[in-house]
Amino acid sequence: MSVATTIMTPTTLTASVSASNQPLQLGLGSYEGIAPMIVLGLTALALFTVDSVYPDSTNNTLLSGLTVVGSLIALVITGTQLVTGVESTELFSGQLVVDEMSLFFTFIFTSVTALIALASHEYIGDREYQGEYYALVVLAAIGMTLLANSNSFATAFISLELASLPSYALVAYLKDNRGSVEAGMKYFLIGALSSAVFAYGISLVYGVTGSLLFTDVAATLTEGIDGSLTGVLGIGVVMILGGVAFKTASVPFHFWAPEAYEGAPAPISAFLSSASKAAGFVLAFRIFITAFPADAIAGIDWVLAFQILALVTMTLGNFAAATQETVKRMLAYSSIGHAGYVLIALGALTGAADQSFVLSAGMIHLLVYGFMNTGAFLFVALAEHWGIGRTFEDYNGLAKKAPVACAAMSIFLFSLAGLPTGGGMLSKYFLLLGAVNAEAYVLAVGLIVNSALSLYFYSRVVKAMWIEEPASDLTIDGYPTGLYAAIVVAAVVTFLLLPALAIFSDPALTAGSGLF
Amino acid sequence: MAGAFQFAPAIAALPFVSFLIALFGGRFMPKRGAFAGITATGGSLLLSAWMYFAVLSSGEPHLEIVHTFIAVTDPFTLELGILIDQLSALMLLIVSLISFLVFVFSLGYMNDEGETGLPRYYAGLSLFSFSMLAFVMASNLFMAFMFFELVGLCSYLLIGFWFRADAPPSAAKKAFLVTRFGDYFFLVGVVGVLGTFGTSAFAGDGSFPVLAEQVLAGETVGINTFGFDPQTWFTILGLLVLGGVMGKSAQFPLHTWLPDAMEGPTPVSALIHAATMVAAGVYLVARMYGFYALSPTALAIIAFVGGFTALFAATMGVVKREIKQVLAYSTISQYGYMMLALGVGGYVAGVFHLTTHAVFKALLFLGAGAVIVAMHHDEDMWKMGGLKDRLPVTYYTFLAGSLALAGIIPFSGFWSKDEVLFEALLRGMDNPIFFAAYAMALLGVFFTGFYTFRMVFLTFHGEPRTTVAEDPHQFGWNMKFPLVVLGVLATVIGFINMTPIAELTGAHIEFLHVWFEHGGEALTVEHYGALLEQWANYGEVHAGSALVVASGAVSLLFALAGAGAAHVLYNVPNPDEHTDKLGSIKTVLFNNYYQDEYQVWLAEGLTANVARGADTFDQGIIDGAVNSISGVSLSLGDRTRRIQTGDVTNYATLLTAGLVVLLVAVGVLGGWFV
Repeated sequence: MSVATTIMTPTTLTASVSASNQPLQLGLGSYEGIAPMIVLGLTALALFTVDSVYPDSTNNTLLSGLTVVGSLIALVITGTQLVTGVESTELFSGQLVVDEMSLFFTFIFTSVTALIALASHEYIGDREYQGEYYALVVLAAIGMTLLANSNSFATAFISLELASLPSYALVAYLKDNRGSVEAGMKYFLIGALSSAVFAYGISLVYGVTGSLLFTDVAATLTEGIDGSLTGVLGIGVVMILGGVAFKTASVPFHFWAPEAYEGAPAPISAFLSSASKAAGFVLAFRIFITAFPADAIAGIDWVLAFQILALVTMTLGNFAAATQETVKRMLAYSSIGHAGYVLIALGALTGAADQSFVLSAGMIHLLVYGFMNTGAFLFVALAEHWGIGRTFEDYNGLAKKAPVACAAMSIFLFSLAGLPTGGGMLSKYFLLLGAVNAEAYVLAVGLIVNSALSLYFYSRVVKAMWIEEPASDLTIDGYPTGLYAAIVVAAVVTFLLLPALAIFSDPALTAGSGLF
Repeated sequence: MAGAFQFAPAIAALPFVSFLIALFGGRFMPKRGAFAGITATGGSLLLSAWMYFAVLSSGEPHLEIVHTFIAVTDPFTLELGILIDQLSALMLLIVSLISFLVFVFSLGYMNDEGETGLPRYYAGLSLFSFSMLAFVMASNLFMAFMFFELVGLCSYLLIGFWFRADAPPSAAKKAFLVTRFGDYFFLVGVVGVLGTFGTSAFAGDGSFPVLAEQVLAGETVGINTFGFDPQTWFTILGLLVLGGVMGKSAQFPLHTWLPDAMEGPTPVSALIHAATMVAAGVYLVARMYGFYALSPTALAIIAFVGGFTALFAATMGVVKREIKQVLAYSTISQYGYMMLALGVGGYVAGVFHLTTHAVFKALLFLGAGAVIVAMHHDEDMWKMGGLKDRLPVTYYTFLAGSLALAGIIPFSGFWSKDEVLFEALLRGMDNPIFFAAYAMALLGVFFTGFYTFRMVFLTFHGEPRTTVAEDPHQFGWNMKFPLVVLGVLATVIGFINMTPIAELTGAHIEFLHVWFEHGGEALTVEHYGALLEQWANYGEVHAGSALVVASGAVSLLFALAGAGAAHVLYNVPNPDEHTDKLGSIKTVLFNNYYQDEYQVWLAEGLTANVARGADTFDQGIIDGAVNSISGVSLSLGDRTRRIQTGDVTNYATLLTAGLVVLLVAVGVLGGWFV
């Protein structure tokens, strides 16, 4: 904690404003920052190539392997840059920005992509359209990465769509499954509505400020706008907030989430609830902190709006999760609840707060969440692979048959609840501390109450697995290597994040401070 | 010899290693882990002897901190350390010697008798030795408490060794619970000491006895005594710690566990009574004597409880039928003498009696064990008789132990008990409380002589009263060897401190006194004497040689009277149950003054009702609140769930409505519509 409070040196806004006025940079060195995206793009192209050469092949291993290798290379590049540290660089006339925050989120996206590509190897098995499946995953990952680098509303909107459109298709991937197709359709409809709201919000903001670049918008707002336009700007800001809330699956833009997570193939559920949600948050952090600095737009209290969203989202998510009958849907609602926790990072940006600390707490929670939630959904994928059913009771006595996977699942679930089996405890603690520092006591209480409630439904799964007697006909066929590997890796990382948070919090904390 | 102390941790570590070996590898070993234990305790014995001579040659105590739990000094430090001074060096020697002999004896008592579960037995025995040795070496009260508890746990495990029968598990639980009751007070005392002084170290400049004395002398300020007068507060702390002492050392009224603990294997009884568990309590008082010396009230309580227990337990020993029961009550009684000695300021006398008692009580228990083996595990003395000629080694060693216990000159018990009584008499001459304690202890000597020789005569003399006693089972060297070693020691160990002879002849033969005159600052007997004189008003009393001899003669007379009475009544070919003539008194004595009954009544009538009340509160109010909260949560959750209708048009409507609400809320607050 002492690290968090000592290294903060808020950079001034003017530095980045002047940077945006530089001429177009296209030197080779400037591509260094977007190298992960380029690698992912090449991976997608390679997948397309393989798929067009062998259109009917079901060589899952090759496709899955390509995706894993591609995302791992991107992961390593990102990790290296994160460790060595980067200067905040703007590219393409300020349309994109490469800084520690973008790298931090790229790290999350590439990790999750690698995990789910690995896990999909057995899950997809010998279904049709494998090339498309992996390509769509990689394309969505590019969209999310681009979202993390966006520095203007135009790129933000495009990359949001680039992340979302493959996701709709992926949710509906199980074409012969009614639930999957229906969920994809609903996801698409709600997505279209939200995109429309988002685009309309952008147009209003553009109308008032005359710019799409985040930094320019902020500069205009700091200079002050005509008082009569405050309402127009305010409506724009809240509508943009709506677009972001869709991506983070926050109430009331969450309606797609439970059904999409439940209907989608389980690895895709993991992908959407971990990576896609993180993408929504990085967008929110960029827009609201860079473009709409709270002290520059008096009269538009988006901090309050986020406080309301945070409280409603975490409460609704956890309360609905408590009464679910199927594990996957419980996880879907718990994912909504966790979105509520991370929203604290924005809702606690009050004047009293140590702002970069609060923001960093949210980012760290997303990092930990990326592993523990992905792992939990992958365990569900494993259960679906075995075909043992979906309800809590169907998991009875599973630990007798698959102790390793069940131990991993227990780590995920307890970490999600905030017990010290993984980094989840510390990241939640940081959020709590941030909320208390910001004097947002309602959020702090909400976090505690909801965490306590969440322990109930998480431990239901643990109880079923370890304590209940198995049904007499419980059999599992084989131990799929890829899925197991992905689950174990996620479990190990989740567990190691607890002691390692001291190390990882450093890049996260600098990333958070860079925006102020 | 400075190098010797580097090996000090090994004294405790060796039995711990043998614990692990016996536990995990015992079943693969020829004697099920016995040799590991013998080797380990033998090694501890050698190291202890080395330590003893190291202390002897340097004269300085050895104090080192081995491990610090939490590296902060404020508000207090918690650490593990080693303190080897005159007291702990002597005690280490005793404990490791007895442990070693008990291990050897167990070869005969357990292995040769074909007992099962031996790895568990030897593991427990090793852990017991480890705990006690570490307790003796402890450099602070906190560490002492840790190992004190571990000693209690080990006694639980070993007393309940034969867990398939009914009585042993019950006895084990009783021992555990009763001593635990005392340990609650001890724990509070430890916390109190830490909270008051910020340290619980026994020795050194910043140790708590030294700090306490400085506070009383007005040299140190800033010690929080929680609003009490310092001396009152120190008395309270001392009495709290004394709670643990009275539980472990089986002092009235927490002695009830000890006779039941006879359900354990006899070698375990020997270890518990002579060197480990029961000794731990008295040792603790001696260890922090510098602290008790500051509180005349605590000392008076120690002395009086000790004197009372000495007599009280001795009377109950008179009527018992079983050989181990007699010994059990004699243990309670003898520890009473030690407490009495410490209470009246006879530090050396108390430790002296602890030493001699360790030897002769171990001897008597092992001898009783041998008799029990010979009698095919029948412990009733009325079924024995005439074993003298059939078990000569056992008889003569047992006799040596009995003479020591009864306090017959020149056996070891005489010298130490005489010194205890002499110290009590000195103090009793100007304080009636101490005189009462002295009188009870002196009367106890008579009963001790009586029950001891009643036991000897019933067991070994007369005619065999059963066929088993006519042809007892014979046993091997592994049981005779410990008996012989201890028999010799029980005869001669008293010579280390023959105060009456020294007084008469002027020869400097009070070796134990000399031994304790050396040592670290604030750990010597002179220092304790000075403290007693200054803070407890135990002035120097100059007793003439006549008084010394007279005191010795009186106690010897009482012992001989008791033994003589036993001789008259029981040393006949076919003794009668003379105790039947006591009528209802015998019933009272046989039922141990109904101590168990009233304690059970306290537990069932009082505690259980309070517990039921607490349970009702917990179930009804606390759990009720918890249950209703979860009920409300779940029903709320169920409603929340229903928002998700599955109809996408509903979703779009709710989404838009939500956005509008948010817009309006932020707008109104932001004043957009003004």
